[in-house]
Amino acid sequence: MFKQISTRILNHLIRQNAWARALLLPYAGKTVRFNIVPLTATLIVLEDGGLAMAGEATEPDAIVTLPPTIALRLLAGDEAANTLITLEGDSELASAISKVLRNMSWEYEEDLSRVIGDIPAHQLAEFGRRVTTESKRQAISLAGMFAEYWQEEQPLIAKKRHVQQFVKDVDTLREDVERLAKYTEKLQAKIQQKAER
Amino acid sequence: MSEKPTTHFGFQTVDENEKARKVGAVFHSVAQRYDLMNDVMSAGLHRLWKRFALEISGVRAGDRVLDVAGGSGDMSRLFANKVGSSGQVILTDINASMLSVGRDRLIDDGAAVPALQCDAEKLPFPDNHFDCVCVAFGLRNMTHKEAALAEMQRVLKIGGRLLVLEFSQVWKPLAPLYDAYSFKLLPLMGKLLAKDADSYQYLAESIRMHPDQETLRKMMLDAGLSKVDYYNLAAGVVALHKGWKT
Repeated sequence: MFKQISTRILNHLIRQNAWARALLLPYAGKTVRFNIVPLTATLIVLEDGGLAMAGEATEPDAIVTLPPTIALRLLAGDEAANTLITLEGDSELASAISKVLRNMSWEYEEDLSRVIGDIPAHQLAEFGRRVTTESKRQAISLAGMFAEYWQEEQPLIAKKRHVQQFVKDVDTLREDVERLAKYTEKLQAKIQQKAER
Repeated sequence: MSEKPTTHFGFQTVDENEKARKVGAVFHSVAQRYDLMNDVMSAGLHRLWKRFALEISGVRAGDRVLDVAGGSGDMSRLFANKVGSSGQVILTDINASMLSVGRDRLIDDGAAVPALQCDAEKLPFPDNHFDCVCVAFGLRNMTHKEAALAEMQRVLKIGGRLLVLEFSQVWKPLAPLYDAYSFKLLPLMGKLLAKDADSYQYLAESIRMHPDQETLRKMMLDAGLSKVDYYNLAAGVVALHKGWKT
């Protein structure tokens, strides 16, 4: 049942994102397995450029592995985490499917309009967008408040400039130690030369 | 004197040339109430299974599709909507009663789908002709399944897909419950709704005699398809096999 529903949703989204179909068509019949520990999902590209969950006897053409920490970073919008994803097999296929999954958007206003009509759907979607924006703003503000409290009142989190200063100090210390090591080596060499004379 | 080749008809063993006649009699008997019984027996799930088969087929506008043993025309109607006016769907069935039910219904729906009475083991089409061939709940009634699969493979284009939607082996822990349903409740429903308990007894028996998921997958590979995958639907009560010709 899960595969039936997921396939339905995937194809519905592909229908709303026509650009994705063109991107997937060259890979018809190929499969990609996503390992997002502890979950695994294998997707197959259909001959009409759609996407479906693969069946029970699939041998994947590509495997994408995301450790759970990277998955969380990606969800948080950290682009740098992309470099830590492991790709095996057909990398072009894996990139195409990953690109589609990342960039597909759900046209919920369009879907809603079929049920309740255009104007109520637009108003409801507008309300939903305002609620989302406001929730995001409130969440950021709350996070900022906690961050300030833990930095100023109950120091649990280091401030950015303190971390930068610490990193700079560590670099200076490392360079000083390296210089000292070289100087010591030089002195040892001189002592050895004098002893040999 | 050499013995006549035999096959199964439900749990009975019959002469090969007798099976087609017996299966024909079953479907002549149930044709008019076939859809009602399908809805009652599967609680309407057969419609979802068929829609899923359509999604997985990857059929698009302009494609040529063959619906083998298409009977009441459910799959043909779904495919006809998908291929549009630039494509073509052909409905076939060996049984005239089932075919006429399907043909009439398609005409009533305004779908221009040619209906053709023919044997799936000897398809009257050229090689490499169809983008997709589909057989939904028909393969288990065929006498020579290997020959039918080979024929369906033959008429597929390179890159074409064969879809087999059929009852299969249910998930083991559910088997006792499923057996009770199939052998007690199903013939009773057949008797009450279609006035034909024997045909529905045959249905339950033929499902048990049909190859399981892995066996059918192997048969499709042996028929010449280069890759075969399958989906278990409703815990394996039904399986959808998809094979590619490359």
